Amino acid sequence: MTAATNPTAPVVRVDGLTKRFGSFTAVDGVSFTLEPDRIYGLLGRNGAGKTTLMQLLTAQQFPTTGGIEVFGESPMENPAVLRRVCFVKESQKYPDDWRVKHVFASAPWFFDNWDAAFAERLIQEFRLPMKRPIKKVSRGQLSAIGVVVGLASRAPLTFFDEPYLGLDAVARQIFYDRLLEDFAEHPRTVVLSTHLIDEVSNLLEHVLVIDDGRILIDQDAEDVRSSAITVVGGRRAVDAFVAGREVLHRDGVGGLASVTVPALTDAERRDAADAGLELAPVSLQQLIVRRTNTTEKEFEQTS
Amino acid sequence: MTAITPSSTLGAPRAEQTNRIWNVVRLHLTNTWVIVQTPAIILALIFAVNYAIWTVLDVSIQMDSGEAVDGTQWSGAATFIFVYMSVVAAQAITVTFPFALGYSVTRREYYLGTSLLFVLVSAGYAVAMAVLAAIEEATGGWGLGGHMFTAVYFGTEGGFARLFVFFSMFLFFFFAGAAIATIYMRWRMYGMIAFWAALSVLLIGLVALFTYTDSWADVGTWFATNGASGVAAWLLIPTVLAAVTGYLVLRRATPKN
Repeated sequence: MTAATNPTAPVVRVDGLTKRFGSFTAVDGVSFTLEPDRIYGLLGRNGAGKTTLMQLLTAQQFPTTGGIEVFGESPMENPAVLRRVCFVKESQKYPDDWRVKHVFASAPWFFDNWDAAFAERLIQEFRLPMKRPIKKVSRGQLSAIGVVVGLASRAPLTFFDEPYLGLDAVARQIFYDRLLEDFAEHPRTVVLSTHLIDEVSNLLEHVLVIDDGRILIDQDAEDVRSSAITVVGGRRAVDAFVAGREVLHRDGVGGLASVTVPALTDAERRDAADAGLELAPVSLQQLIVRRTNTTEKEFEQTS
Repeated sequence: MTAITPSSTLGAPRAEQTNRIWNVVRLHLTNTWVIVQTPAIILALIFAVNYAIWTVLDVSIQMDSGEAVDGTQWSGAATFIFVYMSVVAAQAITVTFPFALGYSVTRREYYLGTSLLFVLVSAGYAVAMAVLAAIEEATGGWGLGGHMFTAVYFGTEGGFARLFVFFSMFLFFFFAGAAIATIYMRWRMYGMIAFWAALSVLLIGLVALFTYTDSWADVGTWFATNGASGVAAWLLIPTVLAAVTGYLVLRRATPKN
């Protein structure tokens, strides 16, 4: 029994992975694993290394150093691995002479689990113009084409790179709804890469935050959310309460202050309530923005 | 989970892999216009223009000696299609290759499938052009003494020799175009500059060699003795070189972002 046939073995195992382009290091000594049948968020700012990382995992780019295992094997020129992977690229180019229908005519040849009925339904819901030349469709429709391919392929490992660029609110909601519905019926490993974190925050079970080519956070989404809390109240009371604590973020207007600190114990929560302070949850996006900012400052101070 | 279920094991059977290579051929033919309809239409248009010219010449023959129509055997009208196929091959690499990687095709599967496509299309066009050449011959140049598919470069050794010449030429233009495009995919602009510079140096070097050794006559004799089909046979060597080079270069190529 190889790792690949073991249903609980990691789908992806990355060890000390580095990718340099000339003097620029896009991915810098990254290690992590992806477990089967979960939805991962690969989050980070533009240029943080998200796309490069996914290109490495799908064997489109070659690593400079480090190991990659997908379904227990190297993905490099490995048809057995790659046929179980679908990578919907943000900047996916299609042959110039193609029409939209050609994408859906050819995709089933390459994905074993392709569900034609599901694809048909998604095409209707996204109102894709099947006969239109691919060069003439809008940015949002281009994204929708990728979303349909990614969902209908039902690949055991599916990557969506910034899947909703240009999609309107209705289309985005369709994407999230169909993803969750289909995921419930056909569990698989999904990696959603995005810099709009709050949009997808409810879908994610686990987050990987990448910044400057390094993994900053590799945690359960719930753990990340509960890892910090915002204390709101009068400036003096807040200052007294957070004294001696690590302050992740500070905001204030007039006599009011709002300070984000690491998670509190139940006793501490009671103390805060006694001091007349309010506790507010921190959104995933806020947390990640704050953590990435902090490291930038630290980096500036040390350099 | 048992080992009998094919979908549950990683090892893809051989038939499955062959199937994926064939799927790459189908991918190229998803829209057949670029490879089939467009060049056929352009070829038909060129033929129409040539036919018009032959008609004019035919009228002038009544007054003249007939040398004018004889000159059409040096026609380059049909050469466009070879250059066109070179461009098709280059686009197959620059556009369809990154796209195919997105469909989780390996570089090897992509290259083998694309090469198979080149061979099939070369064969198809070689047969079509050989048939047209045979008609041209049988009808005495479409009744006007014109030459388009029986130009001297395609050989004067009969129908089958011409079929081989066409086939070899198509293969060369496909694989050369594809190989140059793989250099672009791998090394981008620097690769192109280096390649064209090297090719220019090589060609100028050959010209200089033949000129200084006063051997242009020998070059001419070589072509004359080998004949069109002999030269086409020699052409297979650079074609195979281009095909192998293309594969080695593409193996480490990455799609543009």
